[in-house]
Amino acid sequence: MRCGVLALACLISITTVARAQQRPDVSGNFMLNGGKTTFGEWHLTEAGERRFKAYDFKKDDPALKCIGTSWTRVWLNPNVLVKITQNPNDIRLQYEWMDIDRRIPLVEPTMARVKRSVPIPNMPGLGTSVAWYDGDALVIETRDIEPGYVSTMQEWAGLPQSRMMRTIERLSLANPNLLSIQITHVDPANYRDPLPVTITYPRSKFDLMHYGCDPKDAQITEPNK
Amino acid sequence: MAAIPKMPRSLNRTSSLATVALVVAALIALAKPALAHHSVPVNFDQSKEITISGTLTEAKWINPHSRFRIDVKQDDGKTVEWLVEMGAVNTMRRAGFEIEKFVVGDTLTIIGWPGRGRDRSMLLRTAVLKDGTRLTP
Repeated sequence: MRCGVLALACLISITTVARAQQRPDVSGNFMLNGGKTTFGEWHLTEAGERRFKAYDFKKDDPALKCIGTSWTRVWLNPNVLVKITQNPNDIRLQYEWMDIDRRIPLVEPTMARVKRSVPIPNMPGLGTSVAWYDGDALVIETRDIEPGYVSTMQEWAGLPQSRMMRTIERLSLANPNLLSIQITHVDPANYRDPLPVTITYPRSKFDLMHYGCDPKDAQITEPNK
Repeated sequence: MAAIPKMPRSLNRTSSLATVALVVAALIALAKPALAHHSVPVNFDQSKEITISGTLTEAKWINPHSRFRIDVKQDDGKTVEWLVEMGAVNTMRRAGFEIEKFVVGDTLTIIGWPGRGRDRSMLLRTAVLKDGTRLTP
């Protein structure tokens, strides 16, 4: 009996060590400034096409109210820092843009529906997430997303997202100084096929700063006279 | 039909060329509506460079976009306000942009890209202070 318990303890210990050794190190400070962004082709459903065409950047962009509408939109903002901290039981991603503090529990993929992150206050488009390691990647799965936009920038502005959307982010180091974020959006309400997006973030020497967005300052402004 | 932006007095030497450039910019803006806020290529015409000179009336160092308001005297003697947009204050600080050197009431020259479909708006590329110091974020 004692021998069996000892063997089990050893097995758990070995497994834990092995998993710790497998864990990719994606901790550090990163910033999008000159990194490469690639959107795959998008194949919208009729409903998705209608939503895409109806987007009006002057009033529909949630950033005008200091709100991040999707994790892809959050990642797409240039020149703001992202600080990643890997803890034993969770992952913390601190996005300078809009001061978003994302804490994601690390789970076994089979537990993904049980233990999820606390929603980000006032940003229902960001849903709830769980994370796990897969080979050289940190994987983040997000669902419970409110309707909004995958992107509000450049030619991707207005690509929609529905409550059915599920996103998978795979974070890995392309090289020691370059973080690769591969995002797959699965949303059968708006897209016929999964929409892939890849964003690369160079490592940064800078530290995180407070953002302090105020909706009255985030509006599109015109000259007074 | 959007009004064609009037050029400030400081552009006398190149006013014809600059006016043509702004007419083209205005026509492009009318033909192709902007798609997104927070997007430089969509909101500003990077193929054209303009220069304005005037009096700094407001400097807001904020996120997501810092901005100046500058009173510019036109050729007809009328003073109009220009809106000069920049990056987030965090970005400007990291770039070593010396924001404390901008004092309301000082004369300031700004070189940058004109806004698309937005009269008297531009994105700052270089600022020239009254002592001739040039600052680029």
